Amino acid sequence: MNIIETRNLTKTYQRFTKEPGLKGSIKSLFKREFTIKTAVSGFDLTVQEGEFLGLIGPNGAGKTTLVKMLTGIIAPSSGEISVAGYYPNRLENSFKQEYAVVMGQKSQLFFELSAADTFLLFKELYHIPEEEYRKNLDYFIKLFGVSDILDVQVRTLSLGERMKMELIVALLHNPKILFLDEPTIGLDAVAQKQIRQFLKEVNETKGTTIILTSHYMEDIKSLCKRCVVINGGIKLYDGDTDQLFANYQTHKKITISLEHDKTCSFLHEHVILEALPYKVTLLVKKEESQELLKDIFSRYDLNDISIEEEDIGNVVERIYTGKSEVKA
Amino acid sequence: MNKYLEISKITFKAQLAWRFDINSFLSQLDMSGEVSNELSTRIRSGTFSKYMVIPVNIQGYFMAQTAGASVFYLIFNLIAAIVWIFVFGINFTFTTDPRLMLAALLLVLLGLIFMIQLNYFLGLLTLKFQDIFLFLMIKSNIVAFIAGTLVPLALLPDFVLQIMRYFPFYYTSYLPSMLLIGRNGNEIGFGLITLGAWVLLFTGINKITYQRLRVKYDGVGI
Repeated sequence: MNIIETRNLTKTYQRFTKEPGLKGSIKSLFKREFTIKTAVSGFDLTVQEGEFLGLIGPNGAGKTTLVKMLTGIIAPSSGEISVAGYYPNRLENSFKQEYAVVMGQKSQLFFELSAADTFLLFKELYHIPEEEYRKNLDYFIKLFGVSDILDVQVRTLSLGERMKMELIVALLHNPKILFLDEPTIGLDAVAQKQIRQFLKEVNETKGTTIILTSHYMEDIKSLCKRCVVINGGIKLYDGDTDQLFANYQTHKKITISLEHDKTCSFLHEHVILEALPYKVTLLVKKEESQELLKDIFSRYDLNDISIEEEDIGNVVERIYTGKSEVKA
Repeated sequence: MNKYLEISKITFKAQLAWRFDINSFLSQLDMSGEVSNELSTRIRSGTFSKYMVIPVNIQGYFMAQTAGASVFYLIFNLIAAIVWIFVFGINFTFTTDPRLMLAALLLVLLGLIFMIQLNYFLGLLTLKFQDIFLFLMIKSNIVAFIAGTLVPLALLPDFVLQIMRYFPFYYTSYLPSMLLIGRNGNEIGFGLITLGAWVLLFTGINKITYQRLRVKYDGVGI
């Protein structure tokens, strides 16, 4: 059963422009000029109940605008939209009971309150019955292991701790849909991993539909079976996540730190992203990476080496252009 | 000496009570200015959506928040007022008429509700005008003048007072403070009706303004 459906969804908005300087400012008082920006264009999307969907794309792609339309924060300019059977922008309270939204850069918490008081506040706001509240709270506290920081004022929590509280607050009322906009942004690897495990558990045990936008490949790869790629407000890909990465994430980013300043002539066969006296970062085709690593280990004294997946921006750009070449 | 200081039939003691205690005390209870500031800041910084996605009446939320802050300050202001009166041995004139006291209390409560509504309305204007500083400045000046915090309204010509009686600000702190010094009892009925009407009017205005402006808002950043 589809819990989210959009058809030809479009959002355009006006942006005020003015000439630079005092003259431009005075002129704009009398004659305003605007440009039209299309944030999301003709977007079709269906999401089934219980699905874990990844939404990826570079900055300004339209991901957040889409999430804002799905949560009712902003109204679409045209097209059809239905979330849990509601037209989101009417912002009916019964609709708001059906979902929760967590934005990595915007807190839903009340900083002056302790986490425990925040939970109580949300219990009242969502009219959560005592038994359900207690059961959910105990479950999430145990899952995150945060029992020792419940009585601490939210403003004193670390970023990772705060994000855990954001997720608990969002899920207390058993929402059918959870919208996550960059939930792991700025978090260290340990906290990111904890949050991924938490989300996976919530999706599997509670059947919560989760829509996740993230710049971190690891978030999408480890959590979402299906993903949607968006760029310039247009849907570029909608399908299996593994398939997407197999098709388009064709390179690995390898950074080597050398013990001595050496000329790495043979590395020039690959795309060099950065070349410093003791450090080289290069983009290598996946199938060539093993061979190259063998070469590097045999030829150089290494201080350090790191192997990363390609930047999401490159992958999305490749999908967008349909080309396979690699840019430095 | 009192005879020289009696202005517009208000005795020196009554003036003291009005100017330095009751009126300023009531004015300080009004924490509603924070509502427009917070709304404006949140809309501009893109965090207003925090309130849009939870099942809460946003105006009601700000009303509860302001009421909480006002009660908090009421306790401390009350202590300060008592210190003023007793420690410095100042002999103020207060009414002992329960009718006047009850009417003053009702007017203060309605006045606080109205001021929150007004500031909520001004805050919402950020959705259209981006910067509401000018509106806030105009509001502050009007409130200060009509509420009589700049100058006791009794000193103004009658026709000016008549006009002011149709505006809510006259009843938010000026009339309650006059009632508490035992004056203007004949204005209670008209005051409650006028202020009540303004509260009802702004309930509608705010609902329509929010519904219209949030849909038209193009900043996306909310």
